Amino acid sequence: MKKSTTALAVLAAASLSLGLAACGSNNDTGTSTTGAATTGAPSGDITGKTLTVWTWDPTFNIYAMQEAEKVYQKTHPDFKLTIVETPWDDLQTKLTTLAQSNTTDQLPDIFLVQNNAYQKNVINYPELFADYGNAGIDFSQFPQSVVDYSVIDGKNYGLPFDNGAVIAGYRTDVLQQAGYKLDDFTDLTWSDWLTKAKDVLAKTGKPLLSGQANSSDTIMMMLQSAGASLFDADGKPTIVDNAALEKAIATYQELVKAGVFTEVNSWDEYVQTFVNGNVAGTINGCWILGSIQSATAQSGKWDITDMPKLEGVDGATNYSANGGSSWAISANANYALAADFLKSTFAGSTEFYDTILPSSGALANWAPAAKSAVYAQPQAFFSNDAIYTKIVSYAGKVPSNNTGAYYYEARDAVSTAITKIMGGTDMATALKEAQDTVEFAMQ
Amino acid sequence: MIVVTSLVVENATVVRPLGPAPASRGVPRWLRKAPTYIFLTIVAVASVYPLYFMVVGATNTSPDVLGSRLLPGGNLFANFRALVAAQDLGGALWHSSLNAVLTTIAALAVCSIAGYGFEVFHSKGKDRVMSLLLLAMMIPFAATMIPLFRMFAQFGLLNSTFAVILPAISTPFLILLFRQSARSFPHEVLEAARIDGLSEFWIFVRIFVPTMRSTYAAAAVITFMNAWNNFLWPRVILVANRYQTMPMLISNFRAGYVIDYGVLMLAVLIASLPTMIVFLVLQRSFANGITGAIK
Repeated sequence: MKKSTTALAVLAAASLSLGLAACGSNNDTGTSTTGAATTGAPSGDITGKTLTVWTWDPTFNIYAMQEAEKVYQKTHPDFKLTIVETPWDDLQTKLTTLAQSNTTDQLPDIFLVQNNAYQKNVINYPELFADYGNAGIDFSQFPQSVVDYSVIDGKNYGLPFDNGAVIAGYRTDVLQQAGYKLDDFTDLTWSDWLTKAKDVLAKTGKPLLSGQANSSDTIMMMLQSAGASLFDADGKPTIVDNAALEKAIATYQELVKAGVFTEVNSWDEYVQTFVNGNVAGTINGCWILGSIQSATAQSGKWDITDMPKLEGVDGATNYSANGGSSWAISANANYALAADFLKSTFAGSTEFYDTILPSSGALANWAPAAKSAVYAQPQAFFSNDAIYTKIVSYAGKVPSNNTGAYYYEARDAVSTAITKIMGGTDMATALKEAQDTVEFAMQ
Repeated sequence: MIVVTSLVVENATVVRPLGPAPASRGVPRWLRKAPTYIFLTIVAVASVYPLYFMVVGATNTSPDVLGSRLLPGGNLFANFRALVAAQDLGGALWHSSLNAVLTTIAALAVCSIAGYGFEVFHSKGKDRVMSLLLLAMMIPFAATMIPLFRMFAQFGLLNSTFAVILPAISTPFLILLFRQSARSFPHEVLEAARIDGLSEFWIFVRIFVPTMRSTYAAAAVITFMNAWNNFLWPRVILVANRYQTMPMLISNFRAGYVIDYGVLMLAVLIASLPTMIVFLVLQRSFANGITGAIK
């Protein structure tokens, strides 16, 4: 019996080694500089020629990085970027895994982080990030509200790139059919907007907005437009007794009830509503322009303006943000080279922004870029309006939003509350439940 | 991938008690069967529709897919060109195939020997080990991922095919499947072989393996599908993206602000084909293997 067991064990081992003999083992012998959150070395002594970047979307972020590489190569001919395509959700998983397994030597030099996730990541995993203290970047040239996403304890951890300023895009032909112009939907309050939207619906049969039923995106945009948040300055959740939030939810309820906001079940269906022309507009971060333009048959029929503002709420404006992302320098980076590269491109080259805007629609957060003539060019798809100049001016007026480490949890809890409220639950009860959920998560 | 299973309703013989004929006797046969067929048609449509939509979507433009167009379009080649231009399709197919094939071969070898050993060389101690293995089935992979990653990092195995395959080679489910099959294997045959002087090794190779062909087929289908669709572990362990697999490629297509649904559908279709082929080729053996290799 002993003999036979040994024989089987040998067979198991043999089959393993045979089966795997063909596998190449490409060990990554990364240079290890594991440690806590670091302030990078002064950018004076630049060594090395290559940087690794983790980011996603070949037509947007990856394209922008490739163009930035070309711009930097003009002054540094030997410079080379290695871009590793990693969708945000996967990037987040990788960051969490590397931090929890204490293998930060595997981090790239630069990676892109969604603005809404910045606080959470830097607070929970400071050992992954290097701050911009010694990078020599002038952050006053970026909108304060965008910079604030990645400021933790007074230190900058992110260089704003992807602009998330909110736009209200409308089908001007549909508005015209109902006797309105774009100006009639500019700088107005939600109640004025609702009156006109009902009229458009009655005359054309088309609602002006749509969105996912299980998402809090629209409410969050309304909330930030008044500079309000789900947390106070100390990071405590303020979902109950939050006048701005209650007003935003009440407004949203009115929109849905009036039929001017069509609720759908998924993101794909949301895009479908305006691409198919069933809905005559949308309010979202300006990155939605790409999806709008995919309906080529609607070229020339769209235009954009600012969003409506909440009534009776202190600090309410017509400007908000949704999404967006910023570049982080990792704790494992060739800091001097990474900082110099970003400073010379994303925070210092109008030529760079002039190149990426027309081909990808990637809009600068960096104020000097917006002065370029490229931004003022009329866009045929959007009724020959100079939409990029408009968006940059909106971005500068967006009130800051306190996101905190538990922003995603709070957004999810509020999404659940909204679904319940729309189903008939009392608003105070639903929001109390949401508050309890977030407080439980924070324990 | 979605596996379409066919439903078979057998005619049941109903013995009626003596007495007045039931009211249904006057109802024509086709009408009595109608609810069954309506139900089966609905289930069949619900199963086939997503597959049909995927195939048709691969030939349409993105706005057409969003518009739920159900007729084939003429955009297949344009979608293919866009897919190949954006991603390394050949590389992803090759690496997915390599991972899936090697995992399947190694897992079948290891788990069948383990299952056979647990059953044929039965003891109380081995039963306890088997219970522990079954307990391990309850632990979700997400819970073991971080320690596993740490271990691989310490061994210097990050970014290697070996690291992708190794955790999938020995699974409690496969061991259980082989053990259950071995249970129905006639021990008299083993005894006869031993009396005839065949060593334990050759008993396994020449008697057990050929008899359990259909169990191997079922295990191969399950392992191949799991390995092909494996996403989380390869995504994490291949930190530097030296190469990517088909699920990783598809994930990339959904990450952008603007999603080309036509190209996405084509990528999903291409990713589904190998598992469909493996399933169709081994379908009969798969069914036999699940129900028991020995009748």
